[in-house]
Amino acid sequence: MDVFGDDAFNVPDSTDWLGTPLACLMPVEQAFRCHVCKDFYDSPMLTSCNHTFCSLCIRRCLSVDSKCPLCRATDQESKLRGNWALREAVEAFKNSRKVLLEFARTPPTIQAILPDQAGPSSPSKRKATELEGPKEEDPETKRPRRSTRSTRARAAELTAAILQEEQDTTPSADPDYVDQPPDDGLVACPICLTRMKEQQVDRHLDTSCPGSPQAASKRRPIPAQTSQPSTFPSFNSRLTSQTSIANQNQKPPERLPALAYSMLRDTALRKKLSELGLSTHGSRQLLEKRHKEWITLWNANCDSSRPKKRSELLRDLDEWERTVGNPGTAAGGGGGQQGLGLVARAQATGAQIKDKEFDGKAWATRYGGSFGDLIKQARKGIKRQTLDGNGEKADTKGEGGDGKEDITPAELPTLQAREGESSAAPTPMDIVPPSSPPRLGKVDDAGAEHDGQAHGKDAIAEDTAMGEQVIPGTPDKERWETSQQPPIPGDD
Amino acid sequence: MSLNVAQRRLLQEYRALTNNPPEGITAGPISEDDLLHWECLIQGPEGTPFEGGVFPAELKFPNDYPHMPPTMKFLGDIFHPNVYPSGLVCISILHPPGDDPNHYETASERWSPIQSVEKILLSVMSMLAEPNDESPANVEAAKMWREKRSEYEARVKASVRASLGL
Repeated sequence: MDVFGDDAFNVPDSTDWLGTPLACLMPVEQAFRCHVCKDFYDSPMLTSCNHTFCSLCIRRCLSVDSKCPLCRATDQESKLRGNWALREAVEAFKNSRKVLLEFARTPPTIQAILPDQAGPSSPSKRKATELEGPKEEDPETKRPRRSTRSTRARAAELTAAILQEEQDTTPSADPDYVDQPPDDGLVACPICLTRMKEQQVDRHLDTSCPGSPQAASKRRPIPAQTSQPSTFPSFNSRLTSQTSIANQNQKPPERLPALAYSMLRDTALRKKLSELGLSTHGSRQLLEKRHKEWITLWNANCDSSRPKKRSELLRDLDEWERTVGNPGTAAGGGGGQQGLGLVARAQATGAQIKDKEFDGKAWATRYGGSFGDLIKQARKGIKRQTLDGNGEKADTKGEGGDGKEDITPAELPTLQAREGESSAAPTPMDIVPPSSPPRLGKVDDAGAEHDGQAHGKDAIAEDTAMGEQVIPGTPDKERWETSQQPPIPGDD
Repeated sequence: MSLNVAQRRLLQEYRALTNNPPEGITAGPISEDDLLHWECLIQGPEGTPFEGGVFPAELKFPNDYPHMPPTMKFLGDIFHPNVYPSGLVCISILHPPGDDPNHYETASERWSPIQSVEKILLSVMSMLAEPNDESPANVEAAKMWREKRSEYEARVKASVRASLGL
């Protein structure tokens, strides 16, 4: 199996905490993740049955099944309500996750400083602790010294180190910035930072607070933004996020209503789509699905604290169109058939090839051998055909369970011509035979023929290996539909 | 490389399965080019005729996973009432949500987006231990399991031994 070293494949997961001293954070992180996408909640929404999912996830679920995925209670999109407290909790956790995890994974290099000693961090003091830290312990050792320490000392260490991290990451433009409030018996207003007696704060907040940090605070000048008192960080961030919600609420993007598609004629539906600036191509079924998906994307975006631009949503729709939206995959009703995997794969690869940044050369080198084999096979096929005198390819059929690697006669001229044109490995764009959709359709038929038979292990292994070669077909959507009937689930 | 919902979720599951593997189960994508195609190994549950066997299977995910379930197919011979002779597994957790054409499964047994590869494989393990003969995919196996249990067990044991090359 491949090692997923690539950054794109590096998906954070709650199990990352396992094996660190902070393994107890795994259930915490799990609680912040959506049950459907397993990712952190994005615009969490409450259902009528009090379950929470990402806005997009639950809207998709409801459009498929109209039921809560957790308890299967019937629900409607219009009844969803935002769970903004959870949204803030998730944001806060996400922001601290990286630092916490890094800390949990590295052995402690800091002496057990009690929190009160850590106090106001003068740069010189911090440097000193850093210097003496590594002496005691080899920084290369990944194993935390859990066993040798009492939990209590360990906890103190953790706290100290977290404090240290916080101080390290707090942006402070002012080197003389002192964290501790002056000992004047007064407290700072959490918003404007003006200092006053504690009992005055409430009244001040209600009446005279100007609403933003005042640069010219009487007691001590505060550089704007950079050094808000760290005693109120959560309060401040809460406030700002609430303000942003308030701002957003002033001009809320309007949610789109669902359409009763059965009541709409084709022309009316097309008109609706073009009013929304969407493509009007494709079958009736595709039009409906496209419209539905757009509504889902759009309405989920309305729930977001950072709504995407329309152009980004259009890109999301395009992405959907290239993968899920294509008839023959999603319409198959849950992949009840083996052929579906192939189709899905063909489409995924097709989309990849269509991508602007697609590296044609690399592709050609990578699959050069396969293309060569395919050509050889095609040649063999021709010979056999001429020998047999008819189009039956009994042999090839027998060796491939699903008949995926079968080369139909229709394709042979294309491949031959291809080889004649250039001896270099062909790029995927031009290896696509014009006849690919019907051929894939045919494959399914062949697969159906074989369905009753037991597939030998070898056949499948070969099938997987060869699968890649046939894939570069980027199916013409219109024809695809006609040739690609959703397979009838073979189970039961 | 940007990942769509299905790919991202599958990566997430793969990550969780590698970090915290459940007992008796290994699973992962066959190649990083195609996250929708997995291979897995299932250990035969203890105390059943499948004990001691290791059964390879493949999982194929649709593009709209997790809203629709994957299909699962054993790559070797499995003689079991709920496995088609082709190796295709027939259990309710793998059946898409919505109307049940056969009216024997309750909705709560069927696929839901909150299910996962891990849950599927655990269900399959328990299916190996306790076949459901209400909806046999392999009628011969179901009949033998119901009427001549010892013969069924002997046949399964023999095929497990054969698959291990004994």
